[in-house]
Amino acid sequence: MWVYEKKLLYPVEVKECNPKLARYIAEQYGGADGELAAALRYMNQRYTVPDKVIGVLNDIATEEFSHLEMLATMIYKLTKDATPEQLEEAGLGAHYVNHGHALFYENAAGVPFTTTYFQAKGDPIADLYEDIAAEEKARATYQWIIDISDDAWINDSLKFLRERENVHSLRFREAVEVLKEERDRKKIF
Amino acid sequence: MDAAERRDMLKNVQEADFVVVELTLYTNTHPNDQEALTQWRLAIKEAARLRKMYEKRFGPLSLHSIPSEQAIDTGWRWNQAPWPWQM
Repeated sequence: MWVYEKKLLYPVEVKECNPKLARYIAEQYGGADGELAAALRYMNQRYTVPDKVIGVLNDIATEEFSHLEMLATMIYKLTKDATPEQLEEAGLGAHYVNHGHALFYENAAGVPFTTTYFQAKGDPIADLYEDIAAEEKARATYQWIIDISDDAWINDSLKFLRERENVHSLRFREAVEVLKEERDRKKIF
Repeated sequence: MDAAERRDMLKNVQEADFVVVELTLYTNTHPNDQEALTQWRLAIKEAARLRKMYEKRFGPLSLHSIPSEQAIDTGWRWNQAPWPWQM
C-alpha cells in the first residue's frame, strides 16, 4: 500500500503563467517516455523478477509517482491563470475545449496516454534493459525541454528530475549485474 | 513571516527525506556496503528529527505522525489547504 505525504519530493517554483511550457512538460507527464509510463511499468514488472531486484523496481516506481506529482504541479501552476486565448496561442485550444483547465494524461502533441508505451515481458533481463532505455529516453526528453525553456525556476526542478533519471539508469544497470552474478553462481555449484 | 518559515522548514524535511530515498536505492543494489548502511540508518534518524520539528509547528505531513491535541484544538485538519501543488 501507499501513504500520502503532503509535500513534493523537490520544490517546484512557478513565477509566471506559461501554457506553452506546460504543453511541452506534458511530454514527461503523459508521453511514451514519461513518468506515468515509468511508474506503471516498474510497478507492474516487480511481481515477476527475482527477489534480489524487487526493491529496485518497487522503490524507483514509487519515486516516479513523486516525479509525476512535481510535473502535475508545474503544469497546473503554469496554466491555471491562462485565458482561453492564451491557451489557444500555446497550442492548447483543443485541450481547453475538452478539459478546461484540468490536467490530462497526454503528451506534448495532445496524444492520450496509453499502456502500449511499455512492456512486461516476464523475462527479467529483457525488462531491466527496457527500464534502462526508459530512463535514458526520459533523461533526453528532460534535456530537450530544458533547452527549449527559458524559465530558470522550472529548469531548476527539471534538472533535478533529469539527474534522477541518471541515478535510476545506474541502479537498473547494477540490477542487471546482480542477476548475472546470481546466474553465474548457479552454474558453478 | 510564517509562510517563509514554513517553506524553509519544509525544505529541510524534503532534503533529509531525499537523502533517505537516494541511500535506499543505493543500498538496494549494494546490500553489503556497511558504510552506506550506516549512513542510511543515520539519514532515516535525521529525517525523522526534522519532520518532527516541522510537524510540531504545521501539523502532520502524513498520517504516520500523530496529530497533537493542541493542533486539532486550534483548527488543524488533514483536509486543509495548502496542498503541495498550491504552495
